[in-house]
Amino acid sequence: MSDPAISAHNLARSFGSTKALVDVSLDVAAGSVCALLGRNGAGKTTTVRILTTLLPADGGRAQVAGFDVDSQAALVRTRIGVTGQTATMDELLTGAENLETIGRFCHLGAATSRRRARELLEQFDLVAAGKQLVKRYSGGMRRRLDLAASLIHEPEVLFLDEPTTGLDPVGRAEMWTSIRSLVSAGTTVLLTTQYLDEADRLADTIVVIDRGLVVAEGTPEQLKASIGRPFIRVTLPEADAAALERVGRLLGAEAEVSGRSVSAPAPDGLATLGDVVAQLGRLGVPVHEVGLEYPSLDEVFSTVTAHAGSSPRSAAAAEGVA
Amino acid sequence: MSQSAVAAERRLQQGMLDAYTATRRFLIRGKRQPDVIFGSLLTPVIFVVLFGYVFGSSIVVPGGNYRSYLMPGLFAMSVLFSAANVAVAVATDMSEGVVDRFRTLPIARSAIIIGRSLSTLILGIPVLVVMIVCGLAVGWRADQGLANAILAFLLFELFAVAIGWLGILVGLLAGSAQAADVIINIPIFLMGFISSVFVDPSMMPVWLREIAYWNPMSALVTAGRQLFGNTIGPPPSGVWSLEHPIATTFGLALVIIIVVAPICVRLYSHSTR
Repeated sequence: MSDPAISAHNLARSFGSTKALVDVSLDVAAGSVCALLGRNGAGKTTTVRILTTLLPADGGRAQVAGFDVDSQAALVRTRIGVTGQTATMDELLTGAENLETIGRFCHLGAATSRRRARELLEQFDLVAAGKQLVKRYSGGMRRRLDLAASLIHEPEVLFLDEPTTGLDPVGRAEMWTSIRSLVSAGTTVLLTTQYLDEADRLADTIVVIDRGLVVAEGTPEQLKASIGRPFIRVTLPEADAAALERVGRLLGAEAEVSGRSVSAPAPDGLATLGDVVAQLGRLGVPVHEVGLEYPSLDEVFSTVTAHAGSSPRSAAAAEGVA
Repeated sequence: MSQSAVAAERRLQQGMLDAYTATRRFLIRGKRQPDVIFGSLLTPVIFVVLFGYVFGSSIVVPGGNYRSYLMPGLFAMSVLFSAANVAVAVATDMSEGVVDRFRTLPIARSAIIIGRSLSTLILGIPVLVVMIVCGLAVGWRADQGLANAILAFLLFELFAVAIGWLGILVGLLAGSAQAADVIINIPIFLMGFISSVFVDPSMMPVWLREIAYWNPMSALVTAGRQLFGNTIGPPPSGVWSLEHPIATTFGLALVIIIVVAPICVRLYSHSTR
């Protein structure tokens, strides 16, 4: 693997007596998507502001696109795109004028800025809106324009700070589509989110932070696996009490019946599933569906953030996937 | 040329280009705010009527016409008011997300506020033109020839840039647009009224008179009155700034720009919301 596009070591930052970041380290491989997941105030935005040269860190080092964010900030800025939480487009300019202005600031020249603005308006489905003042845009359109502005100079690394917070479901779905298309084009993305489903859908790796500390990290699957062992669930065609009981005996002492299905821990994952399927065949009970289930990211999130740093369980979870 | 000199020249060129782009952006914004344009063009008209006729009717200046005496004062006041506007505008800019956008772009750190300063100057020109027309309509004349009149307006504009940088400084330091508005308007009213902008300070109590004489605004309007030929009698003796008003105004404006502009650039680069 090549050098990571983003590499942060032991970042710390305080505001007065408030420790926004205590110790945050992360690596994001070039061309991958990393989600920084955490509640409000966990330190997500502070991390992004340090990595995008907006805020100096009190401690630690960070490199973005191979350059130090502190000593080589100007070089970092030529290689990153940033879409913050707040709208940064000028309400009194049209969409096209906004993009062109950003293009000129990126030293693309007037002609290239105009061409890139046109391309991006097409890419983000804003062609008709391009001639309108941004103050007439909907929330979703503003976010897409903001995202487009971050891409005008084709940055290597893109930072998205809560790209869908405050959007309606349609707006979110559109943003997700836009972000996915960028990723397929090879851009490295660091996005922050408080939505687990967003991290699950978009990210290759997830870093969970809480109170300025990394409390867990890994792929979505690793995180889910780290929290609890998988469950096996057997669903019958109908809620037949006798059949449910027979299946329950097969699955062991911890089996639980709910509705027309029975579930139980599957400590050995796929091996357990294979055994159960074979035994169900011998049992002769009609079965609708058999499958393995992992804990949801919601459970992961509440587990790792509930007792961050104190409970042995969360510590084990964090180590287990590192 | 050495490599570093080439790099420095390239940086300077890009910096100038960035300042041009920023100015262009502020000008587009300016033209999209018809209510602001209307207000800023109407204000000088109201001032000419208010001070020229409402107050002016009861003010007698020895050996002169009050409205001719007043007009350079109103040019000076518009310089102050534009500084108040720029302070509020900068404070507003700083509270919006667009600042972060600019600060993550590979642009010269000074570009945005230089753009703000230049666009304020350019947007002030129509206001000045309206004011000149109003002045001419109420009988004000520049009697010292066109060259002196142009020199006077250049001096006013230079001072406007200097005071504008002080306005930018207040805008950067104030926590909000409302705070900037309050903070900047107190000195503006004191500087505007305790001076020879509206009246001859010779009638004021001694302590106030000395403040008024040494107030830079008095030097500015005295310079204007000299160059336009609207003076009423010789300057008070012993007040250097009024005996040499053009040199004082010119020098002071340069000093303010040289000192304050770099401070503003630093503050802008290092500010965090």
